[in-house]
Amino acid sequence: MSHRGMDRDDEDDEDYEEQGVDFDEEEADEEEEDRGGGKKRRRSSYIDDDADEVDEDEEEDDDGDDDYDGGGKTSRKRQYKKVSASNFFDEEAEVDTDDEEEEEEGEDDFIVQPDNDLPEEDDNRGRPRHRLPPHQEDHEDLEAVARSIQERYGKHRLAEYEEETTDVEQQALLPSVRDPKLWMVKCAIGRERETAVCLLQKYIDKGSELQIRSAIALDHLKNYIYVEADKEAHVREACKGLRNIFGQKITLVPIREMTDVLSVESKAIDLARDTWVRMKIGTYKGDLAKVVDVDNVRQRVTVKLIPRIDLQALANKLEGREVVKKKAFVPPPRFMNVDEARELHIRVEHRRDAYGERFDAIGGMMFKDGFLYKTVSIKSISAQNIKPTFDELEKFRKPGEGGDVASLSTLFANRKKGHFMKGDAVIVVKGDLKNLKGWVEKVDEDNVHIRPEIKGLPKTLAVNERELVKYFEPGNHVKVVSGAQEGATGMVVKVEQHVLILISDTTKEHIRVFADDVVESSEVTTGVTKIGDYELRDLVLLDNLSFGVIIRVESEAFQVLKGVPDRPEVVLVKLREIKCKIEKKISVQDRFKNTISSKDVVKIIDGPCRGKQGPVEHIYRGILFIFDRHHLEHAGFICVKAHSCVVVGGSRSNGDRNGDAYGRFSGLKNPPRIPQSPKRFSRGGHPSDSGGRHRGGGRGHDGLTGATVKVRQGSYKGYRGRVIEVKGTFVRVELESQMKVVTVDRNHITDNVAVTPQRETSRYGMGSETPMHPSRTPLHPYMTPMRDPGATPIHDGMRTPMRDRAWNPYAPMSPARDNWEDGNPGSWGASPQYQPGSPPSRSYEAPTPGAGWASTPGGNYSEAGTPRDSSAYANAPSPYLPSTPGGQPMTPNSASYLPGTPGGQPMTPGTGGLDMMSPVLGGDNEGPWLMPDILVNVHRAGEESVGVIKEVLPDGSYKVALGSSGNGETLTALPAEMEAVIPKKSDKIKIMGGALRGSTGKLIGVDGTDGIVKVDDTLDVKILDLVILAKLA
Amino acid sequence: MFFHIVLERNMQLHPRYFGRNLRENLVSKLMKDVEGTCSGRHGFVVAVTGIENIGKGIIRDGTGFVTFPVKYQCVVFRPFKGEILEAVVTMVNKMGFFAEAGPVQIFVSNHLIPDDMEFQSGDMPNYTTSDGSVKIQKDSEVRLKIIGTRVDATEIFCIGTIKDDFLGVINDPTTV
Repeated sequence: MSHRGMDRDDEDDEDYEEQGVDFDEEEADEEEEDRGGGKKRRRSSYIDDDADEVDEDEEEDDDGDDDYDGGGKTSRKRQYKKVSASNFFDEEAEVDTDDEEEEEEGEDDFIVQPDNDLPEEDDNRGRPRHRLPPHQEDHEDLEAVARSIQERYGKHRLAEYEEETTDVEQQALLPSVRDPKLWMVKCAIGRERETAVCLLQKYIDKGSELQIRSAIALDHLKNYIYVEADKEAHVREACKGLRNIFGQKITLVPIREMTDVLSVESKAIDLARDTWVRMKIGTYKGDLAKVVDVDNVRQRVTVKLIPRIDLQALANKLEGREVVKKKAFVPPPRFMNVDEARELHIRVEHRRDAYGERFDAIGGMMFKDGFLYKTVSIKSISAQNIKPTFDELEKFRKPGEGGDVASLSTLFANRKKGHFMKGDAVIVVKGDLKNLKGWVEKVDEDNVHIRPEIKGLPKTLAVNERELVKYFEPGNHVKVVSGAQEGATGMVVKVEQHVLILISDTTKEHIRVFADDVVESSEVTTGVTKIGDYELRDLVLLDNLSFGVIIRVESEAFQVLKGVPDRPEVVLVKLREIKCKIEKKISVQDRFKNTISSKDVVKIIDGPCRGKQGPVEHIYRGILFIFDRHHLEHAGFICVKAHSCVVVGGSRSNGDRNGDAYGRFSGLKNPPRIPQSPKRFSRGGHPSDSGGRHRGGGRGHDGLTGATVKVRQGSYKGYRGRVIEVKGTFVRVELESQMKVVTVDRNHITDNVAVTPQRETSRYGMGSETPMHPSRTPLHPYMTPMRDPGATPIHDGMRTPMRDRAWNPYAPMSPARDNWEDGNPGSWGASPQYQPGSPPSRSYEAPTPGAGWASTPGGNYSEAGTPRDSSAYANAPSPYLPSTPGGQPMTPNSASYLPGTPGGQPMTPGTGGLDMMSPVLGGDNEGPWLMPDILVNVHRAGEESVGVIKEVLPDGSYKVALGSSGNGETLTALPAEMEAVIPKKSDKIKIMGGALRGSTGKLIGVDGTDGIVKVDDTLDVKILDLVILAKLA
Repeated sequence: MFFHIVLERNMQLHPRYFGRNLRENLVSKLMKDVEGTCSGRHGFVVAVTGIENIGKGIIRDGTGFVTFPVKYQCVVFRPFKGEILEAVVTMVNKMGFFAEAGPVQIFVSNHLIPDDMEFQSGDMPNYTTSDGSVKIQKDSEVRLKIIGTRVDATEIFCIGTIKDDFLGVINDPTTV
């Protein structure tokens, strides 16, 4: 039955009283001798428990009171307690053997709130009363019970009375298969004891009907009680009807673990002076304290604490003023300043203790050096597993005394098992062998065998592990294996007794750790650098579509430096908040249009990090993540816009040339627009291309714009379309299947539909593009059929080899720099393939479309040139289609493309000119770009010259006369080598495309990428794309 | 410490380099690939000084690349624990200072700076003795002792000390 369990499972008023009942009524006599010893323990612990409560209750009164106050109310209480306690114990006086101790304890823990005790006593008296009758009724039954008890415990008693128990005999006591088993039964949380007592009661009431042997509730085990019984069915039977037991889950405790259930961890605390302890209760609960004196007889310790005293409240109290009690408020720990106290008119006395030490006594509390010296019960402190943090230790050390080894060494009392490993360097810190260094050879239970460093000593010495400390030297590379800094690695720079100062590998910061928490690690790790798929320094996409670089890996979380230029923004994200790793290799352009790719060293020339320099680690959406090892923050990462950087060693001139070209572009301030124009064009007539190739860049600061996405949520779920614009968290998507643009939440789209982006050009302003939208929209639906069957497969298949070919011959040594993406006409000029061409060319078409086609299977440039012209506007795919006779010289006749490409057809009506814009785009499929009489820039072999196109040759090349007026030498140039000179305002122009192709006019204004043209013939004013306008010679 | 050693490496060469200048191409690629790299065993490869032997190339299936085993002599630089080095201070902060000896970065913690030197923050952070006679700041040259090294795949990082006899500033740019 329940005694066994109760007795081992430490006390509580309730148990106690129940047991009392048991003993009184049933087998007190037998039990007496049986349990003499146990009883004592129980009682004293009972009292201690009580003491704890007392302390707790007493708290706000004042802690000093219990130690130094002798008067008034408390003593009354004490008396009361004495009375009540003795009352209580009277009931089982016969069991009591140690009244004195009890008295003493009572004195220490003088206060027991009357309301706490009285009901219990009532209970005590009450229960037997109503329980008695049945028992009295049948005395035989009682005797039977007594007999059965005797039977059951008889052999135990024998065993206990053995003078000396040997190990073997102990073994014999262990449960075997024949013994009743232990079952674990689930019960309501917090009702464990109650449940056990209920079972006890049930047993009392029902007697032998209940076939369980005992019920045990353990303090440390919530939600479960143990029941000892032979069969599960017995347990079930016993539990039937108990309201605290629900769920019929009954688990058998394996025999092997049965002893563990009831084994009590020895509470013998080895408290010595200078041990660090923590307060368990009261105002100082959780506070670190240092033991200054131990009174083992009285079970009390004097500890040193940092006081938490509200001086004002104290002053009020001492002066007898009303003290407003605020339970929630715990004053912060602060050293006591005697002068401050005096200012508040608190009386400070000087006292000496038994050892003659001087203390300041304030209102019964003792202070020294600002610390509070407080005497408390051993029970109210915990000495197990104390791990003081550095801050705490630092505070304790503050007033003078320096780092004392002894106090730190006491920390080691709580080391884990297996703390020392073979090969560890150690030093002896205590005893005769102090300061002996050595290496661990073997670890026994408590002793560590070390191989001493000094010769002439025995090969190994056995040293108690408490006398040993791990030993490190500056320069050792170590890893922190426990404590707050767990996982970090670093090199030891300084050893201060038991404290090491490390230089962290990852952060290059100082870390202070205990030598105990550290192991030497030859492995060079940088701490935990990886959780899941994500590693330190990875670029990751976060939930809300923002992105950043992982700059620190903590347990369970990452610190991410977000891709927000100008100001570093660090967020802590959980693993699940990371969407994916971004591993795209993209390149962008710096301020001077030099291409930046990963690993290029760039210098920041703008913003708060100006002057910093380092290799580019990641590029995404026009943002660079630069790793500067001298940058101490954010693990050396700097997030910056590509535009505010310059490639170290990159040329300025490169950009200048482009700049010139743009300058000519009617003096636009914003050069980036130009490269965009051809793209826009190609988007008009070349949808797949823009969907794929230019996705992610080219238009707008957001990589999403232009991407082909799929809507995955909302009313448009399942639709595919292209992103037209990003507006905050919304995107405007032009649906492919319906002629409309819809606004969708950004989170509701997936953009993996599109081909990988290759270009990241944040610099292209979005503004320039906006005017295009209205006109573009109606075009797209028509293009869709064309794209799907033809373009897309071709692109995917064709582009890659084409690219390879494009760069291989020119840039053999640096494949990383992809010329094809380069967008830099200069590099093209150098290509031998351009040689046959003749002067004039247009910079803006050279890089992108021209380059691509240069290496199509179509063959040489003369052929490629022509299809390009048409395809750029109308039906891009056709020249790539294997069926299309790419090699055939094509004349600038749009009609020839129409049959092959239905896409061209619908667009043609556009020329009718429904609005101002459409003629331009609709008419794209008319004719080639360049026409006679226009002024062009020719770049070939790196040089650049101006010329006038004289004639269009049938093979697609042009005859160009050099010189701005066309009177220089004449040469033949390929279209890719030429670009039309961009007209400025009030230049005479020739229209190279659209319905008005061939007409001349005057540019009377420029609006973004559109030119306002007054056509000579009709004197109409038209708005045309600048790209199709060329300056007339 | 510098060493002149012979190392071996398998070089992959693209077929486009095959021809008369194959050897030159191979050597230039070797230099490009190898110089400035760092290995834990040998330290930094400072310069390739000569080619001992180029073995027979093996053509890789599929790619057409050819792998040549190349034995080359090179000068390597590897810092050792206990070695005394002269280095140039590159950065000073309150935790100490960073110095560079060629490709090697060395950190000298403020715990390893003599106690009489105090950190002075400001425009030009520095460590100065109380009498102001010795100053460590950016571009100062210091002699230091390496007390620990950490070798990564791409760099060697050292911890140094100047808290020892005959260590410290050897050349102060401000006084010159």
